[in-house]
Amino acid sequence: MTRRISKYKRFMMMNPIIQFFKFIYLSIKVLIVVAGGHGGTRNA
Amino acid sequence: MSKIVVLGAGIAGHVAASHLRRKLSKEHEVVVVSPNGNYQWIPSNIWVGIGRMKPKDILFPLAPLYAKKHIDYKQAKAVSFHPEGDSEENKPYILAEYVTGDQKGTQERVTYDYLINATGPKLNFEATEGLSPGKNKAHSVCTYTHAQEAWIALEGLIKQMKEGKKVRILIGTGHAKSTCQGAAFEYILNVEQELRRHKVRDMAEITWISNEYNLGDFGMDGMLMSYGSNIMKSSEMVEMIFEDRGIKWILGAGVSKVEDGVAHYETLDGSYKKESYDFAMLIPSFSGHGFKAYDRSGDDITDKLFRGFMIVDADYTPKPYEEWSVQDWPETYQNPSYSNIFAPGIAFAPPHSISKPRKSKNGTDITPAPPRTGMPSGITAKLVADNIIEMIKHSNDELHHKGSMGNMGAACIASAGFGMTTGSGVSITTYPIVPDYNKYPDTHGRKLGKTFGTIGLAGHWLKLALHYAFIYKAKMKPFWWLIPE
Repeated sequence: MTRRISKYKRFMMMNPIIQFFKFIYLSIKVLIVVAGGHGGTRNA
Repeated sequence: MSKIVVLGAGIAGHVAASHLRRKLSKEHEVVVVSPNGNYQWIPSNIWVGIGRMKPKDILFPLAPLYAKKHIDYKQAKAVSFHPEGDSEENKPYILAEYVTGDQKGTQERVTYDYLINATGPKLNFEATEGLSPGKNKAHSVCTYTHAQEAWIALEGLIKQMKEGKKVRILIGTGHAKSTCQGAAFEYILNVEQELRRHKVRDMAEITWISNEYNLGDFGMDGMLMSYGSNIMKSSEMVEMIFEDRGIKWILGAGVSKVEDGVAHYETLDGSYKKESYDFAMLIPSFSGHGFKAYDRSGDDITDKLFRGFMIVDADYTPKPYEEWSVQDWPETYQNPSYSNIFAPGIAFAPPHSISKPRKSKNGTDITPAPPRTGMPSGITAKLVADNIIEMIKHSNDELHHKGSMGNMGAACIASAGFGMTTGSGVSITTYPIVPDYNKYPDTHGRKLGKTFGTIGLAGHWLKLALHYAFIYKAKMKPFWWLIPE
């Protein structure tokens, strides 16, 4: 096992308060990508 | 009045049937033909496979829902396609065979005006000698029953580890052309976390085996993505995660044979190797169901409808990787020979893989097949339903709704461990799914910003939230259609 994620980064990744805001941000960002529309490519 | 028959009640079939029923008046008939009695939310199978969810948490019976929503439901499997009818039946039909109840074994001609083939893949375990769920210590998480069996085996192994046994765990792809690396990726991280939770992590050597050329290929040729303020390759991100979790990896491996606790594989350099294990979860290759099709006079026209999976409006002209383009990929999922037949989701035949094709020195294709699961299945099913609705309502054959995987975003919220405060998720979005190297030449065919990755507890919450949201949506509860595919 090689530590590739620093203690600080791990704290940020697992802190429930920080991650709560990340959850809101992530939900919106995923929604924008997913519901942001789709279409054809041949007449683009 | 029109009759629309939907084959399959997985993500694509159920989405299509739901939207058709909501948007079409009751004079039009919506019929679902599926051998499965339950709807299952497949992305949560991995949690069944680690014992953190029960099968009942991820499925519900289809018959009561369809009865309530006025969707005709036949628990039957498609046997053959007759898109021109025959000498006895003027209308096009599919021959279906009931799989349960008093009618079990009886066949019925199910006529249609429009047909949606959403039969998904056949889990082609037979393509790998000795690979069968629950045999040779190798398992699958492709269905909830497979996942449940995997958990029973893993639970037994954890008990042995607590008694001091050192074990080897092998997770990945079970064939040179498997797809769904994402599911295996989720499972290996969840298994690793569960071993830590049970305090037996140091008793296990965990190895990832895959037909990918690089880590993080996921059958999509890898990604260049935004990661915080950096730009990172998906291979670098997955390598970081695996090293941090102490997971070894074997790449470019085409598993060809599985014996009791031993997986035999060939690598791209042409060597034949084997890897021993005490527990394995290997994703099989996917194939078409081998349906046959016949014209009005009974002649075999299977080639007009299928090339493994169903032929749609893709460009199937063989060409080298360098000449592939997003324009090869289908937009409407309509069969070119029969304009009233569509194949969304995994049921359509892709024009080629997305990842660069590679052969071993012995000539074996070792290339991930292109993924079409989850979100793309839902989106393509909805656009097929919308096109059929317009064809019915406006009596014209123009298809206005288009959705090429070369112009469609996808989100992969990969669980990396279960737990409200200890869980984790690797959230990746990709736009477009099929890289467009002309439009985005400097960023590996993808749009940065819309292609991003992040790791953390929020990813687990999001995956869990999606689990509940999509089951709510599938149950067609109030305002279900507001939840996007």
